[in-house]
Amino acid sequence: MVRALAVVLVLHAVAAHAGTLIGKLELPAPPERPPPATHGFLDRTENPLAPLKPYSVTAQLVVELDGDEKPAAPPQVIWRLVGDSFDRPVIAVPAGAEVVIRDDSKTARTLVAKEDGKLIPPGPINPNGTKPFRSGDSGKVYTIGDSDAPHLKGTLIVVNTLYVAYPDELGRFEIADVPPGSYKLRIWYGGKLLDRPDDDVTIATKGKTDFNPKVPAGMPVRPERK
Amino acid sequence: MFLSKIWFFVLALVAAAAAIVALVMPRPAQRTLVTEERHRLGVACGVIDILLADDARNRVELAGTFARAPEIVTALENASNADRLDEARSKQVRELGEKLIDDMKGSRKPDFAWLIDRRGRVVASAKSSSADAGDVVAGRPLVDDALAGYLRDDLWALNGTMYLVAAAPVVKRDPPVAYAGVVLLGHKVTNELAQKLVQTFHDDKHAERNIDLAFFLGNDDVAGSQTTALDHKALGDAVGKLSGNELAKDCQGDAFDLTAGNDAFTAVVGRLPGEAQSHQAFFSVYIKQPEARGFVGTLKAVDKQDLSFKYFPWLLVGGLFVLVLAGGIGLMWLEADRPLKRLAADAVKLAKNEQERLREEAHGGKFGSIARSVNIHIDKLGRDAKSARTNLDQLLGPAPEGSLGTIDLLAGGPIPTSPLPVSRPGGPAPAVTPPPSDFRFGDATPPPGPPPRPTHAARPPTPAPARPTPPPAAMPPAAMPPTTPPPLRLDDDILGAPTAKPVPIAASASQPNEGPVDPYFKQVYDQFLAVKKSCNEPTAGLTYQKFAEKLVRNRDDLIAKTGCREVRFTVYVKDGKAALKATPVKDA
Repeated sequence: MVRALAVVLVLHAVAAHAGTLIGKLELPAPPERPPPATHGFLDRTENPLAPLKPYSVTAQLVVELDGDEKPAAPPQVIWRLVGDSFDRPVIAVPAGAEVVIRDDSKTARTLVAKEDGKLIPPGPINPNGTKPFRSGDSGKVYTIGDSDAPHLKGTLIVVNTLYVAYPDELGRFEIADVPPGSYKLRIWYGGKLLDRPDDDVTIATKGKTDFNPKVPAGMPVRPERK
Repeated sequence: MFLSKIWFFVLALVAAAAAIVALVMPRPAQRTLVTEERHRLGVACGVIDILLADDARNRVELAGTFARAPEIVTALENASNADRLDEARSKQVRELGEKLIDDMKGSRKPDFAWLIDRRGRVVASAKSSSADAGDVVAGRPLVDDALAGYLRDDLWALNGTMYLVAAAPVVKRDPPVAYAGVVLLGHKVTNELAQKLVQTFHDDKHAERNIDLAFFLGNDDVAGSQTTALDHKALGDAVGKLSGNELAKDCQGDAFDLTAGNDAFTAVVGRLPGEAQSHQAFFSVYIKQPEARGFVGTLKAVDKQDLSFKYFPWLLVGGLFVLVLAGGIGLMWLEADRPLKRLAADAVKLAKNEQERLREEAHGGKFGSIARSVNIHIDKLGRDAKSARTNLDQLLGPAPEGSLGTIDLLAGGPIPTSPLPVSRPGGPAPAVTPPPSDFRFGDATPPPGPPPRPTHAARPPTPAPARPTPPPAAMPPAAMPPTTPPPLRLDDDILGAPTAKPVPIAASASQPNEGPVDPYFKQVYDQFLAVKKSCNEPTAGLTYQKFAEKLVRNRDDLIAKTGCREVRFTVYVKDGKAALKATPVKDA
């Protein structure tokens, strides 16, 4: 079963002259599982009954399709808080878009962007409550978290496009309603761009454009610009 | 006494040294004790770390056992496949979990159990309401690791309480093998746990040396083996100094002092691992500081065992005591008691008149000095007695026979000397100066000494010499050389009858001569003649001239020897015969 994970953030009437980008990331062998974020009194040990689940990198991946046309009216983006995590650990939102964090858990949270304390209005988000804020300028990456729950972390990437997709566990993705034209395809991993050449993708006027970008082994990321 | 002084000096020196040792020794001992206590704390901290790890191992194993229960596997497999978790399913799984907990053996039963499906959702929370069904707990490192197939433990802070948690993946072992979810067990950190962890460091006999343990979340007390309100600031400061990721090394950090009320403690802190670390979770191992004992405190701390023969050298101490005592007593006897006894015996002899002086040569040191001083004083008393007798004669006139105030001019033997001893250290005592009145009417020549001064009526007083020069002692008649004519005794010339009472007559300072008769001498002559007659003594040949010459010669002689102003002559009866006494008069 293939489950579409691509999320189109802007729904506007381009159906008549819009294409769809579908593809499947060529994923390398899964990397080593990163060390645990926390340690107990003992080191973790593998269970003897079943092999470990491979470390899934797809939850950290975001596919961005960046074209010449910039979003004029970015849509609202909803980011759900479920229990002790966000429904997506990494999301990409257009610059200037309104981001609404909705607490679907039964615990109130007080979220703060590590890079900009004023990004999110102060105060807790009660269960079933929301906390809206503007995403800011493109290129920014924010780490949202709750100081009372250090394990609760989400990464917000501000991009200059409406067209982003989140691959499923197998790496499949789909971006619909993309105006025909040439685009640059970039892949984010954990809030950082993968260190790979941007892919040139041409979206056809109609139909689906199939493109399978390759993800480098070891998930190298580009050095941060200073 | 020199050796005794040296002995007491040495004793005082040893006593001072002992006092210094007694006062100073507790301090190094105290330092050693504090160092040992700090070392103990570090060891205890490390042991508690080990015990907590061991406990974690047991808890993980318990979670694994729990996760292998077939009914749990089935329930979580079914829940994982459901898009929505309803209340009925949650209740069924909760009851299942609680039954398993109840059936567990041993005392380390969990305080709660979370049954989580493979999507990270809490299907049920058994034994507590720490989580609600449907809560997504994926995202917690412990849960994520367990969902990935790891067994591990963690430390959580939930609602101000600390939980030791362990998780194990639930695996469906029937083909196809798949993960069905996670079992997560939580054990609350309680006072009982803290007491259990430190019970190996407790000793009922020395409760003051018991090590205690407390768990903290930041500034909040969580649990402890004792209800002690420790100083959180000191604890926080100590935790703030800890760095690095190797928490096990925290116990090797420096111990520090902190207080709880009026009590002082020494403590070490160690950071706790896991998620709770973000809540500044730590534990402290502490011990009450030993009281600064000092000398008195050290004495108070001595118990019977310390004084037993096994641990205390009683024989050595007793032997030393006896030795020191014997040395002191011996030296005292040698240098004080024995010489004093000897001096006392000597003094008793002196008192009994068995000896005239103390034997200075028999007494050494201060006792010899005492003897010399006594002898000197005896000498002085003799001289003073003689002088006093002379003065008494001057004041009172011739005393009756046997009186000390007069000198018998007719005495045939030597002038009685004072009872002074005749010997003294360094040689015989100087001869006692014979009294100046020692003359006889029979002497043809004047006695040796200064030539007679010219007689004058008002002769100025001559100061008495500081030490009388020893004139030749009056020789008894038997000792006189045969060629020397016997002294002219008054008896030879005067045959008067003795009178019953002496008649004091003052001599005038006039010179007898052939011409005018001195009224005083004439008066004395008349009295003497009368007394001789009354005693039926012959008076033929006793002329006034001869009598007066004798008186003048003897008067001058006395004046020259004693420096007296005048001489008084007294006529009296002695042994039925007339006698005459001369008494020097110093004052008018």
